[in-house]
Amino acid sequence: MSGLRSFLARRLLLGALQTVAVVLLVFALTEALPGDAAVALAGDQPDPARIAAIRETMHLDRPTHERLADWATGLLHGDLGTSLTSGRPVGQYIADGFGPTLLLATLTVALLVPIGFGLGVLAARHEGRLADRLISSATLAVYAVPEFALGVLLVTVLALQLGWLPPTAVGYGTDLLGHPAALVLPVLVLLSRPVCSLSRLVRAGMIDALASPYVAQARRYGISGTRIRYAHALPNALAPAAQQLARTIDWLLCGVIVVEALYVIPGLGTVLLNAVAERDVPVVQGLAVVFGVLTVVLNLGADLVAHGLAPRAGAAA
Amino acid sequence: MTKPWTARFALGISVVAVPLVLALLGPLLVGEPGARTASFTVGDGHWLGTDFVGRDVWQQVLHGGRPVVLTALAATTLSYLVALPVGLVGALTHRRWLEELLMRPLDVLLAVPSLLLILLAATVLSPGPVGLALLVALVNVPDAARLVRAAATEAAARPAVEALRMQGETWWSMAVGYVGRSMLRTLAADAGTRLTGVLYLVATAAFLGVGVAPDAADWAVMVDRNRTGLSVQPWAVAVPALLIVALTMGTNLLFDAALANNRRSDRGRGRGTKLPDATRTAHNPAGSEARP
Repeated sequence: MSGLRSFLARRLLLGALQTVAVVLLVFALTEALPGDAAVALAGDQPDPARIAAIRETMHLDRPTHERLADWATGLLHGDLGTSLTSGRPVGQYIADGFGPTLLLATLTVALLVPIGFGLGVLAARHEGRLADRLISSATLAVYAVPEFALGVLLVTVLALQLGWLPPTAVGYGTDLLGHPAALVLPVLVLLSRPVCSLSRLVRAGMIDALASPYVAQARRYGISGTRIRYAHALPNALAPAAQQLARTIDWLLCGVIVVEALYVIPGLGTVLLNAVAERDVPVVQGLAVVFGVLTVVLNLGADLVAHGLAPRAGAAA
Repeated sequence: MTKPWTARFALGISVVAVPLVLALLGPLLVGEPGARTASFTVGDGHWLGTDFVGRDVWQQVLHGGRPVVLTALAATTLSYLVALPVGLVGALTHRRWLEELLMRPLDVLLAVPSLLLILLAATVLSPGPVGLALLVALVNVPDAARLVRAAATEAAARPAVEALRMQGETWWSMAVGYVGRSMLRTLAADAGTRLTGVLYLVATAAFLGVGVAPDAADWAVMVDRNRTGLSVQPWAVAVPALLIVALTMGTNLLFDAALANNRRSDRGRGRGTKLPDATRTAHNPAGSEARP
């Protein structure tokens, strides 16, 4: 069991290092501003009062290491700083946008897992035949398409030409659950890329596993095909797929930003894009830390699950 | 050269042909820009109508493919220009600290979602097209360097390298002459995947307004800016969106078909099939999407 323990220790250490690095990277953002950060951030309204206010809010008159220490301690206490444009705490921005994004992500993951695994197992069972060729070609094609292009075409056809669904979520605010029709297109678009990659991965893993000696041996024992598929082959096919699920989180995050912009959903992605447009650095930093740490933690979790499912695969930490 | 392969190859070529020809030759075919008219009109001498500031949509479409394709190609090339030396040195050096110094920071960078990194940089730097290419290249470097290192480590462990070393070959001729050459196939496979991913990132960033002027002639920008008139003038959005879909889909289908062909000829010769698999499994969990 020492192998497992050292793997755990190494993987946890890497996770901790990545978290620290994310925090440092995000902090370095203000240092990357050319010239006087306060003047650069004031941008279009360079009046002295605003510059002074920015300098005050971001404590720019203090040395870098003190600001880093302050910011990091604030993060540990859940204090993410204050917005430059509105003076509201960043935590409040995140709390406002959290609901819609969480709803979108939960719905997407809840649908992604059964659809992705289902399609993958289906294709692997019919390897080389029509069903497999159709699924493989379709997933390969859709997987490369940017969400915004797919989304806007779906809106044009399904919402504007056929009138089946509302084109955007404008006017529904954060009460999206009350208007399920407005959620169909965003979730569909969010699913498009992850479903493709996941099902391709499950298919490849299942084909490998079904061709392995232990499956042949199980067949010789006369174990039923269903039991071999789901009790013996699938867990081994799951290990690479579990890691892909974490990669999918990265995509979901990119996807959420695009989809929220496209369908005008007031979630974290919209908050981030607005902050980027207004160069509201503290809000961008706060969101980046939340997103970054979330990605690190989910990747860590997926690696541990993958390791538990198939220790032989030896996830490289 | 069996039938399904040629069919898929042909499909890929025919899907990618229209957007690629438009992107590369479009700017040469376009005439003088006409006077601006009312925005979001249909017909009236404009084949695809007018856009949000009253420009001819067809002319914008002819202009708008080149930035997407060129930025993506530049970013892919740039990421390899950095990743190749880093990965090769990381794999072939005997100094452990140098390897750690080169590769560990990349592990850390892999943890940050790519679009987030681009948006972060865009907040403070307001990049132009060149800046966007650099950013997209940067977020691709960690993954590409890891792949190069994995492929090079495998090639460097072969007996042939030991033989070369005993013959007193220089480090350079071993690294470039033998190891570099044996990695070409893996790199070609990866380049296809990477170009698809880069096209995705470049188009998505442009759609979100990173690295482009707000009224730029760029398919992704056209989709974004003309969305307001979607119900009156859908062509200004649908045509560039379809072209982007065809471009990304076709690129992916084409490279996959070419790789399937590669794999098949590999199997025919009975060697080399192991390399891509070995590099994939040596891949980081957060590495690029596996291509089964």
